[in-house]
Amino acid sequence: MAMPLPTTWRIAWRNLWRNPRRTGLALAAIGLSVTLVLLYDGVLRWEADWMVDTITGPMLGHVQAHAREWRRTRSMDKTLRDVSKTVAALRADPDVAGVDARVYAPALAALGEEGFAVMVMGVDMDEAARPSRLLAGLAAPIGHRQVLMGNLLAAQMGVKPGDRIAVVGQGVDGSLANDLFTVVALLTTQVDMVNRQALVMPIGEAQDLFAMSDEAHELVIYGRDVDAAKTLAAHLQQLPALAGDEVLDWKAAEPGMNELVQLVEVMWVFILVLVFVAAAAGVANTALMSTFERTHEFGMLLALGTTPSRIVGMIVLESLALGATGALLGTTLGAALVAWAYRRGIDYAALTGGGPTSLSAFGLRWSLVIYPRLAFIDIVRVVAAVMVTSLVASVWPALRAARLQPARALRE
Amino acid sequence: MTENRQRGIFLGLAAIAAISAAALAQPAKPPDAETVLAYLDDLYRSKSSIARAEMIVTSPRSTRTMRLKAWTRGEDEALIVVEAPAREEGTSTLRVGPNLWNYLPRIARTIRVPPSMMLGSWMGTDFTNDDLVKESSLHKDFESRIDRRSDSPPGWWLGLTVKPGIVGRWARIDILISDDGWLPLQEHHFDRKGRLARTMVFDEVRMFGGRRVPAHLVLTPTDVEGQRTEMRYLELEFDAKIPDDTFSLSRLERSR
Amino acid sequence: MAWVSGQYAVRSVGRNVRRTILSIAGIAIGCVLALFMESMNRGHGELFARAGSASGVGHVRVVPAGWRERRDSRLRLADWQADLASARAIPGVTFATARARAQALLAVGTHVVPVELAGVQPEIEPHTFRYVQKMHEGRYLRAGETGNIVLGRALVNRLTADLDDDIVATTVGPKGDIQSALFRLVGIVETGNDDSDSAVCQVALEDLQHLTQFPGAGEVSVILGDYRQIDAVRAQLASRVATGDDVMTLSEIAPDIEGHLNQDAAVTRFVSWIILLIVLLGVASAQLAAVLERRREFAVLAALGMSGPRLVGLVVQEALLLGAGGAALAIVAGVPLVWKFAHTGLDFRRYVGGSYSFQGVLFDPVVYGDFGWWIVWYIGAVSMGATIAASLYPAWYAARTDPAVALRVAQ
Repeated sequence: MAMPLPTTWRIAWRNLWRNPRRTGLALAAIGLSVTLVLLYDGVLRWEADWMVDTITGPMLGHVQAHAREWRRTRSMDKTLRDVSKTVAALRADPDVAGVDARVYAPALAALGEEGFAVMVMGVDMDEAARPSRLLAGLAAPIGHRQVLMGNLLAAQMGVKPGDRIAVVGQGVDGSLANDLFTVVALLTTQVDMVNRQALVMPIGEAQDLFAMSDEAHELVIYGRDVDAAKTLAAHLQQLPALAGDEVLDWKAAEPGMNELVQLVEVMWVFILVLVFVAAAAGVANTALMSTFERTHEFGMLLALGTTPSRIVGMIVLESLALGATGALLGTTLGAALVAWAYRRGIDYAALTGGGPTSLSAFGLRWSLVIYPRLAFIDIVRVVAAVMVTSLVASVWPALRAARLQPARALRE
Repeated sequence: MTENRQRGIFLGLAAIAAISAAALAQPAKPPDAETVLAYLDDLYRSKSSIARAEMIVTSPRSTRTMRLKAWTRGEDEALIVVEAPAREEGTSTLRVGPNLWNYLPRIARTIRVPPSMMLGSWMGTDFTNDDLVKESSLHKDFESRIDRRSDSPPGWWLGLTVKPGIVGRWARIDILISDDGWLPLQEHHFDRKGRLARTMVFDEVRMFGGRRVPAHLVLTPTDVEGQRTEMRYLELEFDAKIPDDTFSLSRLERSR
Repeated sequence: MAWVSGQYAVRSVGRNVRRTILSIAGIAIGCVLALFMESMNRGHGELFARAGSASGVGHVRVVPAGWRERRDSRLRLADWQADLASARAIPGVTFATARARAQALLAVGTHVVPVELAGVQPEIEPHTFRYVQKMHEGRYLRAGETGNIVLGRALVNRLTADLDDDIVATTVGPKGDIQSALFRLVGIVETGNDDSDSAVCQVALEDLQHLTQFPGAGEVSVILGDYRQIDAVRAQLASRVATGDDVMTLSEIAPDIEGHLNQDAAVTRFVSWIILLIVLLGVASAQLAAVLERRREFAVLAALGMSGPRLVGLVVQEALLLGAGGAALAIVAGVPLVWKFAHTGLDFRRYVGGSYSFQGVLFDPVVYGDFGWWIVWYIGAVSMGATIAASLYPAWYAARTDPAVALRVAQ
């Protein structure tokens, strides 16, 4: 081509706007497709994060530490020792965002004479009350000899807040642990097992009750990035404080949960592909249509002496310009929508006409308020897809235009 | 697992014991296995009993000593009260038929143990709740024969093989009985795979209400590191007179 | 007049073949995608029904009175044999089996493990509980035999037992007394997961009845050939079971699964709408472009006396033709695709590492699409609906044509 690129670009751009309404419509179509894909991407990205957060937040954490034999036998006496020192050491580590020391002790609880099998959970109240953790949103601190009871357990036992219950169990030294506790509130957590069976109290109280001295059954550790859980686990296993103990990332601790997350991700990505295909088809359709309409015009240009290669270049550039502009508009709108939705949260229940605001599945409760978010790669991916599609869509008409016989074209 | 054995009257056997003691120096003739077995079954058995015992549970973590007082009547009724350690003093367990209650003095509450937890361990020991008064009969469940002589300690090894069709964890039990009085000295329990699962050692023979029985038992499981349970009878009364209202909830709460 | 405008519509559509083909292709692609989504959506129901049935939960289950509220494994059916017979007599039922459960302690020497022991009917059980279809060691229980037990590997390890060992099972009888029995380990199952292994603990139904001294069975589990019949079969069975016995569906027994199902359905429908919207936009823009180009033509028609509504009608008719064409193409392309999907399914096992079980429920991550007559009307509705919606604005625009103005504008 003899003429420099910028001029061809300018011509391409001007050609687009010769028919503003048609171009406007095409841009709207492409732009809205891009917006929708970005919205979907935003929800998809949220979904993956949300699943992992719901799974790791309350119970699993990112990494867990136990005494070697505890997970297999759940024996009361298989404990981690010198826990306060270990927790301090962990908290000092820059990669650790939080540590919740836990006691799990099976026991008998009774309001009257009838005993019910329960699980006493001693937790670090401050840690557990943080957002998206087990006791998130817990208002008042728990006092001495006070306990929180799972709501389903309370329903089974006929317990109301304010009632005093007896708790009987076996201490780590085999002695009989028993005391009276006041149920200050009923718990509805995200974890089904807790709601069904648990008595939650500060870990210090549990340690006293079960004759444990500075011991715990489990350390639930939160890192700064849940995706780096495995590296964090490997790193923490090296710490002298945890030497000889079992340190696992959440996926190793609960492979079933991990597989669930993977399955959902795979299915959603599959659907993403479908959405992409739909968008690409739309872009291609628009690009194809807008170039095919102008056969007459190309014929004229050819008759006037424009080289076929310049026509090809022009068509391709127009298509790319169309795609790029549409993508730009769509990205702006899409990103803005996602940002707004993220700030506000989309209540899925309200959207689908008043369904439940949370969902109970696989032992967990999943909140259905959506906070979509985008990563830069999502935008890059969509824009690239649109550009590629526009380019590919322009090939056929461009080739056809290049081979046009001016006389025949003029007659169309 | 401790098996309470009830004892019958056997002046004859006492006589034999006296003779054996005198004839220690000479190699004795092996006794009749069946007779010995019947004797062992009845060693600790009586229609009702009152006992005070010490139980020491050793685990890798700690050693715990408890002192208990126990009343039993027939197969269905038992009351056990903890006397020591101070932290658990007054805690008691009452069994009447299929029902089991625990009384906890610290919080002044009585709690019924749900049937599903009956299979669990009693007060953190190696005994299950049901072991408290379960009857077992070596004589009925096992074929016995004298295996061999033991010189030190002097006695006879009795080999017990479970009879076909009997439901139990032990396929074989080897019991070493003493020359004087056929008292058990050691027991080896073999599981159904023929593996030695646990060992019991008996000593500190004493007279309780006219009977000579070992007062001290040590139970050691083979597989578990550093774990064992000891029981020592401090007082033991056979065919005791027990007030009728002993095995009742009200008594449970007043138990002393 | 409608006939004439119809013919005119046909001719217009035929005039610009390329545009028509592009439009039809666009519509068809959109329809096929939406169809695929819908098929997958409907297939989800099948996925979870399959998971439920393979896990032994069953599609439908006859349970004792009070079980709905209390889920007590000690409850027994009023007349389990009659219930079983009733279940088997219902058309559409492929398997029905009875079970009883009890809390028990298994012991080998000093090794003791608490389990939930299930008494089953060996001839049918493998058809209703996938884990026992294949034994890793030994064999499964056989009809007519007593005294045998099958366990999951994790339990066997905790008991330090081996094949052919005798295991003591102890349970609490009806009067609170302790009952024990000996069982020979004849088969070991390995599910690859400790929790699932612990769920495999089976003896013959008669053995459990004898051990617990509870006669009867606690559940009759029913598997259907077509999971969509669940509610119908439930209703039928409910009217035929013994008095006092209750009938529950998979969704009622495991509402968690249903919850997930609903969430999934709602979300994928939402996505279907997104896809359709995208398609709609493409079609609309093409339609509008077409209308814009034919302004002069419409102006002439208007000048000749065609009224606004008639012009709208013209545009809409053209759109309908396109829609019909799109639908036809979609059917041709989509039906084989969905058929393949329904038969081969989408196998996600590679990405998930095989089948997996979660909290006792088995999941085979293979999604089978749904295939049926619904495809035809679905495509029709989507295609027509999309094209008509897409042509509304263009039609309105065409109706507003001012002949004088339009004729003066250069093409």
